[in-house]
Amino acid sequence: MAKVETKTSLAKGDLRDVLREMLLIRRFEEKVEERFRAGELPGFLHVAIGQEASAVGVCRALEDGDIIASTHRAHGHTLAKGTHPNELMAELYGKTEGCSHGYGGSMHLYDIERGNMGANAVIGGGLPHITGAALAFQMRGEPRVALAFFGDGATNIGTFHESLNLAQLWKVPAVFVLEDNKWAESTPESQHSPIRDLSDRAKAFGMKALKADGQDVEAVYKTARQALEYARAGKGPVFVHLDCVRLHGHYIGDPQVYRDKDEARKLAETRDPITLLRAKLELADDEFDELDAEVTEIVEASVEFAKNGTDPAPEDALKNIYA
Amino acid sequence: MPELSYREAVRDALATAMREDDSVFIMGEDIAEMGGSMGVTSGMLEEFGRERVRNTPISEMALAGAAIGAAMQGMRPIAEIMYEDFMTLAAEQVVNQAAKLRYMSGGQLTVPVVFRTQGGAGWSPGAQHAQQLEAWFVHIPGLKVVFASTPEDVRGLLWSAIYDDNPVVFFEHRTLYGIKGNVPEKIEPIPIGKARVHREGEDVTVIATGRLVHESLQAAEEAEKQGVSVEVVDPRTLQPLDEETLVASVKKTNRAVVAHEAVTRMGFGAEVASVLQYQAFDWLDAPVERVGAKFSPLPFAPVMEQFVVPHADDVLQAILRTVNR
Amino acid sequence: MATEVKLPRLGQGMESGTIVRWLKSEGEQVAKGEPLYELDTDKVTQEVEAEASGVLLKIAIPEGEVEVGRTIAFIGKEGESVAAVEAPAAPAPKAEPASNKLLQPEPERVSEPTTNGRIKASPLARRLARERGIDLSSIQGTGPDGRIVAQDVETPAPAASRAPAPVAAIGEVTSQPLTNIRKTIARRLTEAWTVPVFTLTVSADMTRANQLVASRRELDPDVRVTVTDLLTRVCAQALARHPEMNVQYTEDALLSFPNANVGIAVAAPQGLVVPVVHNAEQLTLVQIAQKRGDLVARARDSKLRAEDIDGGTFTISNLGMFDVDQFVAVLNPPQASILAVGVTREQVVPRDGELVVVPLMTMTLTCDHRAVDGATGAEFLKTVKAFLEFPGLAL
Repeated sequence: MAKVETKTSLAKGDLRDVLREMLLIRRFEEKVEERFRAGELPGFLHVAIGQEASAVGVCRALEDGDIIASTHRAHGHTLAKGTHPNELMAELYGKTEGCSHGYGGSMHLYDIERGNMGANAVIGGGLPHITGAALAFQMRGEPRVALAFFGDGATNIGTFHESLNLAQLWKVPAVFVLEDNKWAESTPESQHSPIRDLSDRAKAFGMKALKADGQDVEAVYKTARQALEYARAGKGPVFVHLDCVRLHGHYIGDPQVYRDKDEARKLAETRDPITLLRAKLELADDEFDELDAEVTEIVEASVEFAKNGTDPAPEDALKNIYA
Repeated sequence: MPELSYREAVRDALATAMREDDSVFIMGEDIAEMGGSMGVTSGMLEEFGRERVRNTPISEMALAGAAIGAAMQGMRPIAEIMYEDFMTLAAEQVVNQAAKLRYMSGGQLTVPVVFRTQGGAGWSPGAQHAQQLEAWFVHIPGLKVVFASTPEDVRGLLWSAIYDDNPVVFFEHRTLYGIKGNVPEKIEPIPIGKARVHREGEDVTVIATGRLVHESLQAAEEAEKQGVSVEVVDPRTLQPLDEETLVASVKKTNRAVVAHEAVTRMGFGAEVASVLQYQAFDWLDAPVERVGAKFSPLPFAPVMEQFVVPHADDVLQAILRTVNR
Repeated sequence: MATEVKLPRLGQGMESGTIVRWLKSEGEQVAKGEPLYELDTDKVTQEVEAEASGVLLKIAIPEGEVEVGRTIAFIGKEGESVAAVEAPAAPAPKAEPASNKLLQPEPERVSEPTTNGRIKASPLARRLARERGIDLSSIQGTGPDGRIVAQDVETPAPAASRAPAPVAAIGEVTSQPLTNIRKTIARRLTEAWTVPVFTLTVSADMTRANQLVASRRELDPDVRVTVTDLLTRVCAQALARHPEMNVQYTEDALLSFPNANVGIAVAAPQGLVVPVVHNAEQLTLVQIAQKRGDLVARARDSKLRAEDIDGGTFTISNLGMFDVDQFVAVLNPPQASILAVGVTREQVVPRDGELVVVPLMTMTLTCDHRAVDGATGAEFLKTVKAFLEFPGLAL
């Protein structure tokens, strides 16, 4: 199940692909915001604008058979793990063609075939599942790793502490990726955590902890590879602390009255992962525009696909409750 | 036929499954050397080793959640929650996650996990170590809930729960662990969702669960002496409920008493009473009686505990009320 | 083309928002991303940015509550024309949250001393009573609070299997407890006896009636049409013609009925029952015969239902088969009249100066004088006689 070649860093050619992937997520999320404001999308939506490097960098580092569990801000992870934009958009529109067939929506995106154990609407809800999945891999002697994404807010909840404690105790092949964007909805980190370096929490369990700049996709990739190798070798779980930036509000429509507008604007200018990678690749404007047009077309096609999708029958609500 | 205690019967189901199937394993607090707080898993560490008999720290959410996570990957874990009261801690994972994963994923996921737990009053355990919370879990679509009351039933039903592809909350009653009963030589799986008629009768049907099955059988003996013929039925599975058997019995006797140890008010018995009232309306010669604990937390002092919790005499009085005595 | 600025959905569950004020005026230049207006939502007042650049051509809705999706302004090139926009409809008021009440647990079963006229009976008892044609009001309940339970309704074993009454020695008095049916009959007839009544007697020549019944039987041998059926048909038609007979007296008002629901007194094993042929004025003779046949059979099997005995407006009691010449029937309350029918007997009658033999049947009509006057009763009876003597009139 493991890939033959183990790449510790991304080649230049790969990086162009990576940029495309990140741009796809960006345009997808922008489109989701647009369609939500137009009143077409039911429910709660949380976009990952600004956190594309974290999603793509980590997922690129995974091998076949590895699984992920995500958060409520799941679109980026879901696309990065391989779900087609059509299936994701269809799910947001509540269509049967959606990856969860209309049963889950934005916060319950599942793509089991592609190793995505799902988004979770409960903060920290998926963390113990990752400990348990890693346990199963260990018991069965499989070279697979279970990886969880979560935010800084989640490092306060019971399941976080219980899951990391248990994972470390049993030395299961798990990786816990903290996308630390310094905001738990409207509460800044300084108001939700008495400590400043959240990696200390992992260290408190005796867990190996790595850090990287979450807006630098190459750095994310390298660090993720390191963590995955360590866990896969049976040395125990790893905590990966990514310094991220949430460029938009907590949910679509969030006016962020709690956030300093100037600071937010400055972050957008200096810490946008796409802008940063584009600069690093020294991409010409027309090259970038070409990529942009490509991904925009895919995104628009996904909206068309979704809009033409099939609404579930009302009675379908009573299916899939029991196996 | 061999005789096993209820406790041994539970162990037998767990151990037999683990012998035959590598994907089955158990996890819980103090289940290894100590053999569990109720001695259920005694000896299993020696037979199966630490890999498959896993002590966990005191973290019900991780315990329940990891079991769920392993089940999502194809294992068949049985998580022991030491006291039913601590199901409240595990509840986030049981209710928000296990019950709903299949549904939210549009049918992609199967979660074949069993949560075993025990509860019950008697011997003054106090308010936080005695609750009967089945009403919480029968209320959650996506969960199956089982509550067996005899060694034969608990063994056959635990086996079925392990091999059911759905999350099952499996209740045991503390005061029943020591009771002995005949069991078939080999484990015979008992279907989930099927009630059992313990005693046939003509005048009134008593539907009872857990410890109250035995109290009801006692009450039935007493009632017989007073000329009232009592039928005693144990649903065994609380969700899905065997409505057919229960309703047929009440249509035969025209009177019903529902008895459980849990608090009467808003309890599981209320649902059963409603089902009977609705489906057997024209057959009822008396209102459906309910027997259960009074509406209070469980007191510590024995005389108070005795007062709050239902006993055979409460069932007897309910029986007599239905026949206007 | 000017861009329509629509009120965006800024949160899950947001249906409308209130425009507080515009930050730009009509005719002003606007850049995409610039704050355009202030919006008050459920949660917060916030600035909403323009989604396009251009001139703010028109502010369609200057302030107030607007539903999501509505056009509130236009941005475009100077001089472009814009469509007119309707004023927003007042959005539906939000539902008030239910108030929380702390309920007291442990309800005691409240014992009600009065039932407001409602009979307390278990569902099973009610069903049994319905099936057997038993009136619950006649039963004494032995359940809690006087509730009637199944046992109270179960009739004693039928006569055949009842132990024979003890044979008394000469001079001794035997006593047999009253059945519920008998108690009911006794109570109702006592009630009826207190009503002021008058009776009217008439005899009818049954020649043509008998011929009609005979020929009907030939035509429809499966349906044994009887004189009672003809009487039912005739009385129904007569009631239709004399609606002032189809009434009932109550303390406050005289009730008038649109249909003739004719009851037929039947001697059933458990006692007298009066099953009803409803809307008899709309039924043909054959239909009446079929209905009557079914009702009588079920009465004899104690299988009448409530709907079989409810709603009657008139009763016929026929003792002709017992050779009774004539009798006076007691009213069947709350009905206002009852027709007692005797045997049809050949009698010698003078007609046009000659003696002829004619099959005569004597009928006596008893009427509730509070509801019906003598003349009304007499006219009705005259019609009945006419219909019997010339059945063509009633058919």
